[in-house]
Amino acid sequence: MRDKGVGATMRDMVVGSQRRTELLRGVLDLCLLAVMNEEPAYGYEMTKRLRERGLAIVGEGSIYPLLGRLERDGLVETYRAASNGGPMRKYYRPSSAGRLALAMGVSEWRAARDAVDAVLAPVKVEVIHE
Amino acid sequence: MSDFVEQCRSEWRRLGVPDSLAEEMAADLASDLGEAEADGVSAEELLGSDPRSFAASLAAERGILPAAPSPGKVRRRPFVLVAFTAIAALVLIFAARALLAGQPKATLVTNLSGTLGHRLPSTAPFPFAPPSGPQRVFDLGNLSAPVEWILLFFAIVALGFAVWLWANWSRSRPPSVPSA
Repeated sequence: MRDKGVGATMRDMVVGSQRRTELLRGVLDLCLLAVMNEEPAYGYEMTKRLRERGLAIVGEGSIYPLLGRLERDGLVETYRAASNGGPMRKYYRPSSAGRLALAMGVSEWRAARDAVDAVLAPVKVEVIHE
Repeated sequence: MSDFVEQCRSEWRRLGVPDSLAEEMAADLASDLGEAEADGVSAEELLGSDPRSFAASLAAERGILPAAPSPGKVRRRPFVLVAFTAIAALVLIFAARALLAGQPKATLVTNLSGTLGHRLPSTAPFPFAPPSGPQRVFDLGNLSAPVEWILLFFAIVALGFAVWLWANWSRSRPPSVPSA
């Protein structure tokens, strides 16, 4: 019985992690635009900034292809500059189209978040592990 | 340069990404990986565990892969390959069966006392043959053995070539590109 409870808990943790990953995947482009909108940044610098704010699951190659897509779609501009005396880095900043996409995306996110909150916020569930 | 970046570079070369862009992306990744490693973050944590998939995904998202062949071409090549392989296999089976049956149909024989001419499965001399002297007689009754060996040889070579074509074709197919 004890083993079964531990197994179920582990499974719940995995499912929870997958859900967070899926949720983040849908808004990671907005998060990147938001981070570089504060100050232009290169790839790894954006990863660090997002992790500092609790998005620890960023990584595993997820942001680089996304930056490539933003660049292809004309939502970011890039330029090269030395970073703190280090090598030349590719810095990203939102283009005007990117800032517009960010504003619209933030609005959509807030609307979705409020709607989901309206359903989930009142929920009070007691979980009893046997 | 790290092994991860080298594998990415190799994958971009295979996918036909222009060298200048591949070099640029490799240099950017190497800089980020160097800084990450100094922070104690591994390449796997930062970029994932599959360099080839990562490289293909990055190139695809940036839109720098060469144009894919049209669907018609993609379908036609396997069809031609299938047909070529099937014909080679049929010829191989035919030649092998004929040889195993052990009924040769034509060969070259020497007739020391006969006349030059074609002898059809019967041994009747060719009616307009020169009159005398030791001559070679072309006997169709025994000729098929070398023909079947030649067919067998070409069928084996053709099948080997088909295997090589299939291997090349499967290697040239792009890997599945994971979504970001």
